[in-house]
Amino acid sequence: MKIFFRRKTDLREEIESHIKMATADRIARGESPEAARREAMREFGNLPLIAEVTRERWGWLRLERLTQDLRFAVRQLRRTPAFTTTVLLTLALGIGANAAIFTLVNAVLLKDLPVTDPKMLVHVGNDGHDCCVGNNPTREEGVYSNFSTDTYQQLKKNLPEFEELAAMQAGWGYRPIIARRDGAQTEARSVMGEFVSGNYFRTFGLRPAAGRLLIDADDARGAPATAVMSYETWQRQFGGDAAVIGSTFWVNTKPVTVVGVAPRGFFGDRMAVSPPEFYLPIQTMASLANASYVNDPETNWLYIIGRVKPGVALGPLQQKVNGTLRQAFATQKNFSTENGKKYLPRVHATLTPGGEGIQTLQEGYGSHLHLLMWIAGLVLLIACANIANLLLVRGMGRRTEMSVRSALGAQRGRIVRQLLTESILLASLGGLLGLAVAYAGARMLLVLAFPGAQSVPIEARPSLAVIGFALAISVVTGILFGVAPAWISAQARPADALRSGTRTTASATSLLQRTLVVLQAALSLVLLVGAGLFSQSLNKLQNTDLKLDARNRYIVHINPQAAGYAGKQLEALYRTIEDRFHAVPGVFKVGLSTYVPMEDNRWSNYIVVQNHPEAKGLAGFVKANSDYFDSVGTKVLMGRGIDVRDASAAPAVAVVNQAFVHEFLGGRYPIGQRIGFPDSPGDFEIVGVVENTVYTAVQLKDDPMYFVPMMQRPASDKSPIEKDMSLYAGTMVLETAQPIDDMEKITRKTLASINPNLTVVQFQTFSEQIAIDFTEQRLIARLTMLFGALALLLATIGLYGVTAYSVERRTPEIGIRMALGAERGGVVAMVMRGALIQTALGLAIGIPVALLCVRFVKAQLYEITSADARVMTGAIVALAVAACVAAIIPARRAASIDPARALRTE
Amino acid sequence: MATKSGYQNRIELVQGTLDMLILKTLQWGEQHGYGISQAIRATSGQALQVETGSLYPALHRLERQGWVKAEWKQSESNQRAKFYKITKLGKEQLASDYERWGKMVAIIEGIMTAEGVEL
Repeated sequence: MKIFFRRKTDLREEIESHIKMATADRIARGESPEAARREAMREFGNLPLIAEVTRERWGWLRLERLTQDLRFAVRQLRRTPAFTTTVLLTLALGIGANAAIFTLVNAVLLKDLPVTDPKMLVHVGNDGHDCCVGNNPTREEGVYSNFSTDTYQQLKKNLPEFEELAAMQAGWGYRPIIARRDGAQTEARSVMGEFVSGNYFRTFGLRPAAGRLLIDADDARGAPATAVMSYETWQRQFGGDAAVIGSTFWVNTKPVTVVGVAPRGFFGDRMAVSPPEFYLPIQTMASLANASYVNDPETNWLYIIGRVKPGVALGPLQQKVNGTLRQAFATQKNFSTENGKKYLPRVHATLTPGGEGIQTLQEGYGSHLHLLMWIAGLVLLIACANIANLLLVRGMGRRTEMSVRSALGAQRGRIVRQLLTESILLASLGGLLGLAVAYAGARMLLVLAFPGAQSVPIEARPSLAVIGFALAISVVTGILFGVAPAWISAQARPADALRSGTRTTASATSLLQRTLVVLQAALSLVLLVGAGLFSQSLNKLQNTDLKLDARNRYIVHINPQAAGYAGKQLEALYRTIEDRFHAVPGVFKVGLSTYVPMEDNRWSNYIVVQNHPEAKGLAGFVKANSDYFDSVGTKVLMGRGIDVRDASAAPAVAVVNQAFVHEFLGGRYPIGQRIGFPDSPGDFEIVGVVENTVYTAVQLKDDPMYFVPMMQRPASDKSPIEKDMSLYAGTMVLETAQPIDDMEKITRKTLASINPNLTVVQFQTFSEQIAIDFTEQRLIARLTMLFGALALLLATIGLYGVTAYSVERRTPEIGIRMALGAERGGVVAMVMRGALIQTALGLAIGIPVALLCVRFVKAQLYEITSADARVMTGAIVALAVAACVAAIIPARRAASIDPARALRTE
Repeated sequence: MATKSGYQNRIELVQGTLDMLILKTLQWGEQHGYGISQAIRATSGQALQVETGSLYPALHRLERQGWVKAEWKQSESNQRAKFYKITKLGKEQLASDYERWGKMVAIIEGIMTAEGVEL
């Protein structure tokens, strides 16, 4: 670059020296110095042009033109700071919002797992939500994504096309573990773990940050228990202490050796709000978590991801997988019956790319992210329209300059190119500022979407991809809002403009401006309607009667199984808990249950009604103690709730909810009926009916459920008590007379006094827990409102700008009108009419578009199928009011024009 | 008002010839741009006036191709100027250019003095 500039000055000097010598010669011939120089220069020719042609020989010309344009553009922008600042701010917001959402899209939807060669990974299955734990059922479509340990072993044995095939826990049961480092004063912590196969780390091609990772020998039955710690835990909890490697940890009160630390940045096989802190071999699960299904060939609980050998075709592999699955299922109970055999040929698992891991989070948030991208894009379009309008106005002001340039020989294309450079420069600067907005915006979004989460593995920092995206969008934006104004401005007819006092009225500029305003109005309407719909949806959700009472209630998640309690010890434990907590001053009720409402949890069983063979189906269930219904505020409508007399030895009873009565009993009198399982239909006697408290989520509000006393086991259940996981209470609900400030501390202390291993897995007020369930909907509603308001603001500013400009242009005309007798009111009406017509046109376009777009977002709304009248009217009124506000100021200014002065204006 | 046609680069028409003339001029001794144009004018008896619009692009092109070398020096009238000097490569180019020029002249001469041809 330096060489270029030096050569440029070089050339100038060379030319100057030529002229000096020519001048000297002429002077020697007798001419006067001024005449000599003048003649010498004239003889030389068009100096700049020759210089340019000469420089062309160097091949640098295009670059030189670009630099020239850029320098000029910067000068122009600095001369009008108000305009530049406004545009830069608008762009920073618009581009920044888009880049923020793209950051999340990139980090959540597009990023691969931080493992070796993710392209070779294959997920045996296509559903991140086919999860948790369950019997291997027959299915209509026959598609499976969740498998038993036995099926996994068979797949591993029969598919040599997989270099490695790993299995990992699908659901959330037993993920919370209690880990305590061996030592005198160490504290037990409730953390997340994950049970994985021995070759898990090898499949991902990972190397340990310290120590070693799991190997196949660790996952053998009877092998000593080992675990791998996550890098973040190692750093955060133990300060990277090397002594951790090889030390003993008490996991769920059983000794486990931590053999190593996972590599930095590895967060498991899926994106989740709380990534695992410990990775444990599957075969240790039986002893650590007391899970009985680990080696049950008919219980599905694993996801499978494998690494294929290079060159393996997926088509034939898919067929082989299906065949192996059918073989594995053929011996299972559900598929051996006459009916079951029919489903066998349909059994298959779809192979999908595994590089991004299990897509649970992505499946949940994907549609939201797409919606946000669209909305941000629309807002940017509106912003572009505004800036285009501003540029048009500015172009009008520079008409003289353009005309002079044309007169001096500039080609139209050259002028357009220069104006476009200005636009792109503006847009790029706006884009750079936008990166700052993007970073802040992305972080804010993450905080809003995952409140309270510490280690969400989503990066908010602008990566190279994001920067590239911002730049690309900036250039496109610059061209978008710059090209039309540039073309129009460059069209100036020099003679016309150099003449002073143009009285031209509406020209092409004005039409373009008005079109832009109409478009802005239409887009704003669409966004406002969207915002209205999402707010309505959120409102509906939040106002649904959940049929519970959250006042002065605290939800405490506990894990007695991880604390080392055997089945036989539970009854005494629960008595102790109830007594100790009742002794705490202010505590009314102490409820204990497997889980509580509004925590996205559901256990279910296939239930039948005795003597009524047509009544059968899946029903949710909760096991609870006597205080439970009162503690969550569920009202008993008929009969009684669970009672202290329903001890383990007493006859088995059940309380059902209204939905159960409706669905299973068809409205028949429920008290006294017996329900049970297909093999033993009379296990429980119904003793009461409660209202339909919402458990899993509002969307599932009429779920039939039955409630069984905590320690009771149906007579038909002959399995040993040690294996009955449903006896373990997962939650405690405390109702107090009034809010107690340090309830959490009191709770921890009380539990620790019973057993130091009884840690609190999570502590929240009931209201907090319910609010968290609505986080997603609330986030989207807030964001759509924010963008809608922004769009409305931009459209208003746009309309104001255009109206004000038109008034200014028409000042002479208005002056004439008023001189001829027009009333001031008439003038106001004239200006307002113009503005309102544009708005009305915008509405005419926007309303059908909005109605059309509702179908794209229907899936994300709760119980809303179309834009109802309220939302529509609300949006239309908002836009109309904004239009009036935007137009009234220029209108009044027009009305206050002094006719005499107006006629004198040039 | 000027019409917008691109600057017609007339050196296109006598490009090869101009290069040859410049190189020959420089063979007599190193010279600056003004001097070259004066020399050509003088040697042609005022008949050939090389336009600066052709001369300078040509000079810079020759420099780029390595046929001449440039150096800033003081001229006779104590004026600082950029002097061009022919290189060995340039001398070779000059010789081949002259040979080609001769052949072309002979061919055209042949056509101009021909009686006609039986087709």
